[in-house]
Amino acid sequence: MSFLMVSCAGVKQKGLTKGFQEPLTVSDLSIVAQDASDEIGFDEFEDEFSPVTEETVFDPLSGYNRAMTTFNDKFFDYVLSPVSRGYSFVVPEGGRIGIRRFFKNLFYPLRFLNNVLQVKYDQAAIETARFIVNSTVGLLGFFDPAEEWLGLEAHPEDFGQTLGVYGVGPGFHIVLPFIGPSNLRDAIGLIPDAYSVPLAYIPEMNISGVSESDGTLIAVGAESYRRLNSASLSLEEYESLRRDALDLYSFLRDAYERNRAAEIKE
Amino acid sequence: MKKAVFVLIGMMLLTQPVLASDVAEVEAFLTQRLDGVMALLQDKKLDKKTRNDKIVVIITEAFDFDTMAKLSLGKKHWPGLSGKEKKRFTDLFIERLKASYLEKLDLYDDEKIVYSKPEQVKNKVQMLTELVSKDNKITMLYKLYKSKKEGWRVYDVELEGVSLITTYRSQFNEVLQTGTMKDLFAKLERPEAESN
Repeated sequence: MSFLMVSCAGVKQKGLTKGFQEPLTVSDLSIVAQDASDEIGFDEFEDEFSPVTEETVFDPLSGYNRAMTTFNDKFFDYVLSPVSRGYSFVVPEGGRIGIRRFFKNLFYPLRFLNNVLQVKYDQAAIETARFIVNSTVGLLGFFDPAEEWLGLEAHPEDFGQTLGVYGVGPGFHIVLPFIGPSNLRDAIGLIPDAYSVPLAYIPEMNISGVSESDGTLIAVGAESYRRLNSASLSLEEYESLRRDALDLYSFLRDAYERNRAAEIKE
Repeated sequence: MKKAVFVLIGMMLLTQPVLASDVAEVEAFLTQRLDGVMALLQDKKLDKKTRNDKIVVIITEAFDFDTMAKLSLGKKHWPGLSGKEKKRFTDLFIERLKASYLEKLDLYDDEKIVYSKPEQVKNKVQMLTELVSKDNKITMLYKLYKSKKEGWRVYDVELEGVSLITTYRSQFNEVLQTGTMKDLFAKLERPEAESN
């Protein structure tokens, strides 16, 4: 709006200096139009990129968060990246994708539960159909015929999102060791998340010859392996993202919070 | 009276309503460009440099880089810059944006694009696309406005709900809150990808 005033003022000035005898010509008008194209940008776009979206995230832990971001970044460079590169060398991509699918299939209860809690019953039904098809025809989930043949797509939802759907705000931002950016709500959501995954019940399964503490070790090992396998398929994504940042911590923080907000809105 | 006429013409220039034909135009325009990029990505005979040069030609047609540069600094910082600073910033920003975009494409070269019908949002048009691969899906929302000189152009892309312009804007704003344009220029020179 303020621009409109400027452009009006421009026209007025032209009119005044030229007097009334000499009419404004097309070129005068194009000058006005050109000014317009140079500065119009903002008023037309500003409501979209309004200061509201610039609002800084509530971040009382920024000192700790920054340090943890650096730690995670170093962990990526010195542990995760080299180990998963070695692993990728041994296990071909097709195999790693299969393994990722296997774990994804195993995590069906998590998606089912949260779809139900978010009253997305149709999606919960699709998840169930996917689980049945992929566990059988898909050979324990290593393949995904549900999507490839039947067009049934997964609908990932977690407890952090469910809480968000019910109006729980994100709370302060917190960077978790090894896991990365999170916030109070999503970090709390990780606890029920962990309990809705079958891996959590390995210690209580009373498998013969496996004590409970061995079971815990197996569960932690399986989860670490799942993370390694999944990281091996997206190393370059993090590396490329990292190069987009001027400041890694605030970049990852903002991207995380905006992505979560968008996921919850869906 | 004459003044009033010019003010009216000026206002008409400023507010261009979106017509149904515009939505179809955007769809054709963007689909063609993105298909072109995809075809280049999948053409394994081209060496990377030639391929990237050709992609840059296509995306330069589709994206309004100058406007994106302006928007990424925003009303808060852009108007205060000198002409020289504007030019330097725009150049660095475009360089960075291109490098980042080409690098992202490299990650997703085995995927196909699924297009949704564009949607009108006020006087702009948004088109949702999905990059679909073997077991992954990435949503990219292209946002276009009608530029007077060149017709429909992309001014922002949302990747998984995260707007490129908003992301850059917060990053630049953060640097400028404590530093100067000179600091920003230094930071804008994007580190090269390590070769491995």
